[in-house]
Amino acid sequence: MGREREPEVKAMSAAESSPARTEAPVALRLLRRAFLSEHLVLGLCLVYFAALAPFTPGFASWSNLQTVLAYALPILVVSVGLTLVLIIGGIDLSVTSIIALASVVGGKIMSGDEGWLAGHALAVPVALVAMLAVGFGIGAINGLAVTACRIPAFIATLTTMMFISGLAIWFTLSRKIGGLPSGFVMLGQQLWLAAAIAGIATGIAYLALARTLYGKWLYAIGHNSRAALVSGVPVARVTFFTYVASGLFAGLAAILFTAALETGNPEMARDNLLDVVGAVVIGGTSLYGGKGRVSGTVFGVLFLALVDNSLNLLGLTFYTITMVKGGLILAAALTDALRNKLLAGR
Amino acid sequence: MTMMKSILSFRRLALGLAATMLVLLSSCGKSPDSGTVGGDAAGKQLNVGVNFETLQTEYWVAGFEAIKAELKKRNIQIVESIADGDANRQLQQVRTLITRKVDGIILVPKDAKTCIPAIKAANEAGIPIVLFNRPAAESPGVKSSAVVADNRKLTRETVEFMIEQARKTGKKHKAMVIVGDLGDINAVGRKDGFYDAIKGQESVVEVVAEVPSEWNQEKARSGVVNALQANPDISFIFSSSDFLFPSVVAALKSANKYQKLGEPGHVILGGFDGDATAYQMLLDGYLDATGVQDVYFEAEQSVQALLDQLAKKDVPSLILDPGFVIHQGNLQEKQTRMWGANVSRK
Repeated sequence: MGREREPEVKAMSAAESSPARTEAPVALRLLRRAFLSEHLVLGLCLVYFAALAPFTPGFASWSNLQTVLAYALPILVVSVGLTLVLIIGGIDLSVTSIIALASVVGGKIMSGDEGWLAGHALAVPVALVAMLAVGFGIGAINGLAVTACRIPAFIATLTTMMFISGLAIWFTLSRKIGGLPSGFVMLGQQLWLAAAIAGIATGIAYLALARTLYGKWLYAIGHNSRAALVSGVPVARVTFFTYVASGLFAGLAAILFTAALETGNPEMARDNLLDVVGAVVIGGTSLYGGKGRVSGTVFGVLFLALVDNSLNLLGLTFYTITMVKGGLILAAALTDALRNKLLAGR
Repeated sequence: MTMMKSILSFRRLALGLAATMLVLLSSCGKSPDSGTVGGDAAGKQLNVGVNFETLQTEYWVAGFEAIKAELKKRNIQIVESIADGDANRQLQQVRTLITRKVDGIILVPKDAKTCIPAIKAANEAGIPIVLFNRPAAESPGVKSSAVVADNRKLTRETVEFMIEQARKTGKKHKAMVIVGDLGDINAVGRKDGFYDAIKGQESVVEVVAEVPSEWNQEKARSGVVNALQANPDISFIFSSSDFLFPSVVAALKSANKYQKLGEPGHVILGGFDGDATAYQMLLDGYLDATGVQDVYFEAEQSVQALLDQLAKKDVPSLILDPGFVIHQGNLQEKQTRMWGANVSRK
């Protein structure tokens, strides 16, 4: 946990030492503490849920919560990978195209209709490995482009996104791949299985950030990569593996997306990039690097999913839902900027 | 003090944002039809969920409005949701409709295969489901009806009409076809219909450019510009959707090739959909023909199919909208059934 809690510890110690703070009203102090707390988004989720549940028919029902969770799990997995990249001050725009390519590669291997291993006992395991390998491979290309070739991450991953999206369309000639084996489909449609997969992946990322040297290195690179290099952090190697990890998480998300929708789809998750980045930012990860938590991303994803679901249940129009979601992401970005300002001001 | 000022200014900002959202939620938020009271023959109020994959183009907006008008005419309550191009979100929204215990669902699926889990969920809940404009792929045990335009046939008829116009000029024409997003089954049907019509007509029309648009106007514009630069003597253009015409017209104007029918240098133009832009181009004498999807027929048939399913009547799995080709010769006669003409008059 150590590094993840650092911003709050700093804020609290500064609060105690500031004369202005001691004179401030209690309510303002509590507001400030809540505002700087790492649990802000969790609090927002709980308040939002409690506020909407009495007025939104079906919102708190078990079946609806299952629906929300089923929608959020694949997005959570890809968001966790992106969190790691944002912490080092990078960006990975290729995650959704990795999902698309992994989806069709997996489908092409195991589909009962047209798969290379149709009906073979090893079809599903081979497809799973291949989908993760796609994520690993494209993550490695991104990592090499950013570290060895020193291409800015935005351009490197944007280029990869364009290339991979085109490749996925070309690979399938735009056709969707159906007839996926039931043994694979259950990974996305049995909620407990999908939750276990997403939970384990998220837990590994959480522990890696909070309890390992790798996690400390990520924050160090995000704060100041030059200073980290001088301090002996293997910046290039860590950056490379962070992009690989992001690719792997996208590959894993592809498994959940593809299984949930029973289709290998060259357009899979194409329009999810904004949701993913929005959820990570709402979760408190800074777009400037050096700050972010996996737990925050979990609640960011959950918060956006709850908002989306509740507004649909309330029968609001598409335009309103879009505006409200955009407003929330904007509010999160403003919060991030203000928190940075407050923390830097002391 | 600076910190407190920052917090206070942020509080004002947050309050402003919250107030804006509340205004949105209260004033423009509710679906205009969500409070409609209706009932079936037994006196039970019917409640139908309408979920569209997107409202990106005029066609989808016109279809959405036509379905809502048809439901309202029959005194049926409406619950609407839009998936914004995301198959995973669409699955969640259909499950949300099931949570709301709607009596039936009219769905515009993202595509033929990723909608299968959503249809299965509706089937399992015993809720009839009708697909508007896009059919689902065949899948064992999955039951739905679809009302769709015969894209391939209608495109073939439209292009055959264009070829007749080309033949009348007595010279051989070089042709360009702008194809849609080939992940969309309708785009594939239109592309196939184009080549069906061209086949065997090579002495009149030779295809020299195929422009991929991915249903994106900017991509279409740059593609058309490039094709016109490579082949300045192109004199026959078919666009797979009328909503790409602004891009085509801009490119033709910059190449000084946008002329009316009968004028020297006129490029034979055809499209598909029958939107307001196409209607205006027909009125102004620039457009030769477009294949019109009969939105009102499709909306009426969709609602009827849903009611028939509720009444336990047999409903065919595919109901075809034959559509019609509109051109200068039949514009007066056919324009009342052209949805774009009605949009234009509004």
